[in-house]
Amino acid sequence: MNENVILEAKGICKSFSGVPVLQQVDFSVKRGEVHALMGENGAGKSTLIKILTGVYTKDSGSVFWEGKEAVINSYKDCQKLGMACIYQELSVIPPLTVAQNVFLGREPRRMGLIDHKKMNEMTQELIERYDFPLDPVALVSNLGIGLRQLVEILKGLSCDSRLLIMDEPTASLSGKEAESLFAIIDTLRKKGVSIIYISHRLEEVYKLSDRLTVLRDGKNAAVLNHDEIEPRKVIQTMIGKVVDESAGSSKEMRKNNNEVVLEVQNLSDETGFFHNVSFKAHKGEILGLGGLIGAGRTELVRAIYGIDQYREGTILLNGQKLHPSPKRSIRAGFGFVPEDRRGQGFIPLLSVNRNTALTNYDRIKKHGMAVSDKAELSMCRDAIERIDIRPADPDKQVGLMSGGNQQKVVLGKWLMRDLKVLIVDEPTAGIDVGAKDEIYGILEDLAKSGVVVILVSSDLQELIRVSHRILVMRKGSVIREFDSGVITQSMVLEAASGLVEKEVS
Amino acid sequence: MKQTTIRRLISLGMLGALVLLFSCMSSYYLNGDNLLEIVRDASVAGIIGVGVTYVIITSGIDLSTGSCMALVGMTMANIYRYTLLPIWMMLLIGILVGLAAGLFNGFVVAKLHLPEFIATLATMGIFRALTYAIAIRDAGGVITSQAMTYSSFVRWGGTVGKLHYVSIAFVIAVILGQLVLKKTRFGTNLYAVGANKKAAELSGINIAKTRIMAYMVVGLCSAIGAIFTTARLQSTTALLGNGFEFDPIAAAVVGGVSLSGGYGDIVGTFIGALFMSALDNGVLKLQMNTAYQYVIKGVIIILVVMFDAWYNGRMEKLAQEKGRKEAVSS
Amino acid sequence: MKGINISKFSKPIILAVFMLVLTVLRPSSFLTVGNLSNVLWSVSVYGIMVCGTIFVFLIGGIDLSIGSLCGLCAVTVVKIIRYFEYSNTGVLLGVLAALSVGILAGLVHGAIITRFHVPAFLITFATQIIFLGLSMILTNNKILSCLQPELFTAIGMKKIFSFPVPIYIMLLIALISWFILRKTVLGRYVYAVGGNSPASRLSGISDTGITVLAYVFSGFTTAIGGVVLASMTQQCMATTGSGYETEVITAAVIGGVSLLGGEGTVSGALFGAILIGLLNNGLNLLSVPSTEHGLVKGIVIIVAVGFDALQHQEKFKSWLNQFKMKKVQGAA
Repeated sequence: MNENVILEAKGICKSFSGVPVLQQVDFSVKRGEVHALMGENGAGKSTLIKILTGVYTKDSGSVFWEGKEAVINSYKDCQKLGMACIYQELSVIPPLTVAQNVFLGREPRRMGLIDHKKMNEMTQELIERYDFPLDPVALVSNLGIGLRQLVEILKGLSCDSRLLIMDEPTASLSGKEAESLFAIIDTLRKKGVSIIYISHRLEEVYKLSDRLTVLRDGKNAAVLNHDEIEPRKVIQTMIGKVVDESAGSSKEMRKNNNEVVLEVQNLSDETGFFHNVSFKAHKGEILGLGGLIGAGRTELVRAIYGIDQYREGTILLNGQKLHPSPKRSIRAGFGFVPEDRRGQGFIPLLSVNRNTALTNYDRIKKHGMAVSDKAELSMCRDAIERIDIRPADPDKQVGLMSGGNQQKVVLGKWLMRDLKVLIVDEPTAGIDVGAKDEIYGILEDLAKSGVVVILVSSDLQELIRVSHRILVMRKGSVIREFDSGVITQSMVLEAASGLVEKEVS
Repeated sequence: MKQTTIRRLISLGMLGALVLLFSCMSSYYLNGDNLLEIVRDASVAGIIGVGVTYVIITSGIDLSTGSCMALVGMTMANIYRYTLLPIWMMLLIGILVGLAAGLFNGFVVAKLHLPEFIATLATMGIFRALTYAIAIRDAGGVITSQAMTYSSFVRWGGTVGKLHYVSIAFVIAVILGQLVLKKTRFGTNLYAVGANKKAAELSGINIAKTRIMAYMVVGLCSAIGAIFTTARLQSTTALLGNGFEFDPIAAAVVGGVSLSGGYGDIVGTFIGALFMSALDNGVLKLQMNTAYQYVIKGVIIILVVMFDAWYNGRMEKLAQEKGRKEAVSS
Repeated sequence: MKGINISKFSKPIILAVFMLVLTVLRPSSFLTVGNLSNVLWSVSVYGIMVCGTIFVFLIGGIDLSIGSLCGLCAVTVVKIIRYFEYSNTGVLLGVLAALSVGILAGLVHGAIITRFHVPAFLITFATQIIFLGLSMILTNNKILSCLQPELFTAIGMKKIFSFPVPIYIMLLIALISWFILRKTVLGRYVYAVGGNSPASRLSGISDTGITVLAYVFSGFTTAIGGVVLASMTQQCMATTGSGYETEVITAAVIGGVSLLGGEGTVSGALFGAILIGLLNNGLNLLSVPSTEHGLVKGIVIIVAVGFDALQHQEKFKSWLNQFKMKKVQGAA
């Protein structure tokens, strides 16, 4: 075996309830290299990482650490070997100092008491060795997100980790913070630390990585060396050519000659998630919003619907100015299907009946505040029939239903209204294929009846298949509009990852 | 660093302003004897406050401390009355009972995953009822108070020179408490558990153990509080510590210990306990109805909690804006 | 589905078993009309209060101040009746004033909790002390008796068709509470906010408004409970009603009301209150001193809430997450 390889995984297979997620995946990382791992959502990247860090157990295959077969059953095992994972959701303790965070649970002690002096010195040493802009005695609560991430990296390095796993490390960083992270990754590489770098952002991968493994549908699609990494080629590999063409050509683009229903002008928010966003949406149109995670799409649609405040800009519905709050938006004819289905979409303890009725009480109350149980139930039965919610039991607790049917319940509470605009954010995440098709059908039917559907999706295939027109967002701005001709997944992906920097005219 | 320093200055300022206010209103307030009295009266709440601070730092709460005191007191009274055990054994058993009560609280919270305030509200009832169950009764079966007058016990209620033993214990408890909090792994773990349970777990910290230990410290502190209280009263009753659970929490909250966990320290609670005691003393010196103590204490707690919520929110917003400006400038 | 069915039948079964045990243990004293009517009579104050506080539990909140608020309202009504020299006008004004005190307290709770996103238990823990202090100031630490006028004593003592009036009041409040929760939009919203407040907000429901209303209604029924209690005992003092918060929480928990929010019914809560009454009565008949009842009730709370928490691990987690979200939003 190659001396230079620090971690090697061979023939990894994993399936969840019979559905294969990883099939015979091989993956190897050399000493002191930055190895990027890419693939579309659901390609199996995070499953692979979870197997390597002991969160999941593999069905078959083997993992070798420095040439020896390793058994990894928990995160502790993986730490013992010398791997550390930098989590997307930061796992630092804000009230403690940098040094305390770095040595949490392993503090150097003298006579039972923590030796703060030694701990700070050791931290300072680490900081100097890797040249991090940190101060051992600074409180983490006073640091920005970028520096907090460095604390986590330092924590990983402090246990002599020789392999760091970074999962979308730049997702919540500003441009400047990302730049300094790249410099640090470079230093680490020079010090012989290996890094598995998971990212959707092509230009980062291009800039940083020595090698690149692409996964597609749970299989190895390619392993590329740095000089072979060519953005278009990577995109093609990620998407798979066959699917790309068929998905792109099957959709006939709709002409924009219908009346404008929703118009957004120069919308910017307080914290800089999106700025100066303008677009028009026409009657009966499905408008797709594409882009990478963190591009500001969810924040934009939340602001349009009125959950979050925006700083400046105008929202016009049928030419009338709108000052949105969920209540006012609903009255004006909006509907909203949030990204976090379980947390924000439905009420798990309540029945289908109560969930679908939730937005419709303005029409099913009798006199005063009293509810007509009969009207409530018949409305629910309508919804069940119209979008085929299974089981067709109005009294079924929604929390106990399958993901696809839960999403139908969320849609169901809007369908019974006189909708003008329906915003759906990642409507099919974590839903099985059959239910996905049904949900597409529902969206298409709505559009046919004249509703504007705004679809936020990270699933390119879905975006292209369902949308009539696609806006691509990047770093808070709409940078590209696809409104005619054949759109392919690679076109959207290229725009989203910044390969085609072209402003919308 | 800055934010916590400001909060410390605010609680110190509150204490100073209060003392100043009462000194102007009553000539009996600002003198050595009275100040010592204030410290003495702050002591029991302050000692228990050390433990309660630990629990609050882990984002928990303990409402059962008053009842726990009563249980410890009544256990000692039984030993005093019915056995010939030496005093140190009586104290030791009292402390063990306190630790056991804390262990029970910790178990219910950390292992059964009950919300802390519900769990300790329930154990508050349980400990009190147990106290009644073992209460000393007279010949007619009526619960009476039990005098405890061994001179080697009662002297703990007294003074050395002008200084009360309980005040000395208070200061020692604060120093030890702060030391453990800042200088041991257990102390660091308390912050970690309170601020980010998931991260703590990933760093190999045993969350359940840390929480249970925090509740056991409360039990220990309550037992010590009970010993000094009964020594001073030279007796105990089943009603000992009734309503007292509020005082340590109030001390911690006024001292800047965040109820959402992760922030605060023992020195803050020390200042908070002195503040509450200075308030009580002032109300007394002005010969106001003691009922005003309750009202003023309650109002102050609400104001402090509201201020902290507002202040922390504002700080976070400022930090966010700072982050955005950095992002925009890049 | 199975769990739901079992718990549906479990309540009457528990009640029947409980009564059976007491009947066997104390055949001569338990199963008499007089004793059972007494149980209902003593239950009525908790019953009245739990019908309002259930709103607070349903939205996932807690109100620890109800015991001393009940006392403050009792003191208010008695003080005013005495001020108006035991006239019927005094009774009317006193009841009105007591109700206003209750509603005002609820408003203050709701406003502080929603505006500052601070833990409900701490705020109501603090107001508990404030209300106790106010009662002490108003009564000057004395027992105030109030034996007339008849209009006042009738509230607690008069019997209609051999049942005391408080039972009718309890049933009326229960009916109102049941109607709101089961038959109105407001009730639907209460369950929605308690089950998932972010989702409710996205559905256009003002969770702030619902929360404030829940605390107001809790204050309102607590005030009625206070008036009834004062009339039943024909006196009041600062500690009137103290400890009732535990009784009411226990009643709700036994009755299947989840303290995590979103689950529970008025009938369940009433059942819980009656069971608490029977429990107290039974323990008395078995010569367990009243001071030791807390042991039984504390264990009952731990078992019931522990069972609830274990059964709803997932819900419990989402409840905690919700708390975190609230914190974040409070900060923003």
